[in-house]
Amino acid sequence: MTGQYSINAEDLHAGYGTQDIVKSISCSFSPGTFTGIIGPNGSGKTTLLKAFSRVIPASGILELDGKAVSDFTPAELGMALGFVPQDEGRPFSYTVLQVVLMARYARTSRFAALMPADYARCRRALEDTGVAHLADRSIRTLSGGEWQRVLIARALAQDTNVLLLDEPTSHLDLSHQSDILTLMRDLAASGATIIGVFHDLNLAALYCDRLIMIKNGQMVADGTPDKVLTPEKIREVYSAEVVTSCHPATGRTFLMPVTAINGNVSPLKSLNVQVISGGGSGSGLLYFLTGRGLSVSAGILATTDTDYITAKALEIPCIPVLPFSQIPVHSLEKLKAMLAQADRVVLSVHPVGAGNLPVLLALRDMDPARIIIHLPEGREFASYDFAKGTAAAAYQDLCAAGARCTTSYVGILGLLLTASS
Amino acid sequence: MIPALTRTIPLIIGLAVAAVVTIVLCTFIGPAGFGFVSTAPSAADIVGSIRLPRVLAAFFVGASLAVAGAAMQALFRNPMADPYILGTSSGGALGASLAIVFLGGLFVPVFAWAGAVAAILIVWSIAGRKGVISVETLLLTGIAVSFFFSAVVSFLIAVAGENVHQILFWLMGGFWNASPSDAILSACILVPAGLLLFFMGRDLNALSLGEETAAHLGIDATRARWTVLGASTLLVAGAVSIAGSIGFVGLVIPHIARMLLGPDNRVVIPACILAGGILLVISDTITRTFLSDLPVGIITAFIGAPFFIWLIHKRGETL
Repeated sequence: MTGQYSINAEDLHAGYGTQDIVKSISCSFSPGTFTGIIGPNGSGKTTLLKAFSRVIPASGILELDGKAVSDFTPAELGMALGFVPQDEGRPFSYTVLQVVLMARYARTSRFAALMPADYARCRRALEDTGVAHLADRSIRTLSGGEWQRVLIARALAQDTNVLLLDEPTSHLDLSHQSDILTLMRDLAASGATIIGVFHDLNLAALYCDRLIMIKNGQMVADGTPDKVLTPEKIREVYSAEVVTSCHPATGRTFLMPVTAINGNVSPLKSLNVQVISGGGSGSGLLYFLTGRGLSVSAGILATTDTDYITAKALEIPCIPVLPFSQIPVHSLEKLKAMLAQADRVVLSVHPVGAGNLPVLLALRDMDPARIIIHLPEGREFASYDFAKGTAAAAYQDLCAAGARCTTSYVGILGLLLTASS
Repeated sequence: MIPALTRTIPLIIGLAVAAVVTIVLCTFIGPAGFGFVSTAPSAADIVGSIRLPRVLAAFFVGASLAVAGAAMQALFRNPMADPYILGTSSGGALGASLAIVFLGGLFVPVFAWAGAVAAILIVWSIAGRKGVISVETLLLTGIAVSFFFSAVVSFLIAVAGENVHQILFWLMGGFWNASPSDAILSACILVPAGLLLFFMGRDLNALSLGEETAAHLGIDATRARWTVLGASTLLVAGAVSIAGSIGFVGLVIPHIARMLLGPDNRVVIPACILAGGILLVISDTITRTFLSDLPVGIITAFIGAPFFIWLIHKRGETL
């Protein structure tokens, strides 16, 4: 790396009073990057950000644009670094424009008035964050989200190369979240250094080039979102179970929490449930049942099937087969072995053609009392039949033989509960 | 702010004119009843050596209290803060009471001044022991020190005997003994400290959103805090030593200024200087002319509070 870092920290310690909250963090940030700082509550994210901005005393090396931060005058710092706080008290009724104009203090002598150019800059910042129409409103009348966008506008109007954001979207609705973060990404693309603290890991992964994960004031991971947001790291740092995947629409890493299970409470804990599904019919069901603490396995799934992707993500065992081909005999044998071991089989009604009909027929060999059929509300077996009536007939036969039907996930849970007791 | 200026500048000029008119008028009004034109030789004496110093002292003290109040409210981010919040009035009261009880009323102004400054120094040294201190810590320490000093003053009142009346009058504040040197002294404090706070208007604006915010906006927040506190302390200690602890002016004039002109301290500070002075001059003129010189603190609240309530009613909740 040639060129200069915007921020360079080495062995940075910071905290309130005698206790260090940030412990020996070393990292540097280049111009043109958007970095997210993530970590659980109380891990020191905000403290780290405030150590960068010098409002919390810090020891260690801290350089801004290659120059020690302690060599900056307060006004120079105000021109080099902008900060958006999580929130800010509003004891007095300043107008929105008055608050944003404060961004220009650092650039104006205290004996001079602000210039029309300063007003123009501030109005542009208000437009950038979508609050220009509030310019003459009292800040005390704003909603939390409007106020947050005013604070962002003020930091923008400081015209600094470095922008530090402490949970900049915590009060924003969905569309403003994406507006603000897109704005930040564009700023980074034009050469600014943006560092933000995030709680929403998916948002962070979507917009940031780089994530720094901290725990107990120490850096535990640093890299691209797909390298940092692994289930193992999340488990280690957040003590949370998640599944990660590559989002089909954005190509970015995204993650979903898997409901934490209280194993002592769940009466279904030790129940082995075999889910038979296909064509995406089982995705939600696999997630639902796994979240309830059941030991779930999936059946024969083509590797292009959404159910297969879900099973992989949730680390649920299944029998993968090639798509658009006959199910091999050994796969079918394997399924029969799994069916024999399962306490219950949940058949999620799915499209059946000649190719996957053997799976359905295999179910006829087992005790129908152990089978629960999930047929979505208002649907009929016939609409899933792509095998000239034989599939619908097979479904009907299972019902007639004594398999129980339900239309909802909760219904499945109820049947599993009665069966297990 | 271009539209705001069109409103602000006439209001400030209007206040300045009102201040001059008030000072001139009130100098010629009094229980001796002199009008604008008088040829009696004693008239010039009374106007020049008694009334003018008293009117000017009242103006400067009122201005000092109001401007210090505005600065404290911004610094503590609390519209309920008043200039006495860190213990200046109770410290001054303690100093004055000690002088009244033990020195027979000699050196009351000196003791009051010393008491006021001592109170602030005690607050600073207690609250500042651990290096970085928050304004909240400062505020709480000030309140604690205030209560302690008030308790000592109450004790002195309880044992003071025939001096009780003197202490109570001092506590309510007034300009009975205002001399030309008082007027000069208060002007000598007000002019530099008022100018300093005026030129720190934008620092006060930023501080009123929080010290961290101020620092992020490029303000030397720590230095600004101590400068504001130092200037305010000098203003209040000077006012207390001349006129005792006059209430209401320092709390309410900044509110009135903000209601009329908005919270920008670059406007609020000069407005407070003018309006605080005007209120106290008028109040003092009323008491010395019509009310046999009752403590002026009674009058400030008596005419100020209804006006303030009317303003709240008219403007709704804007600080």
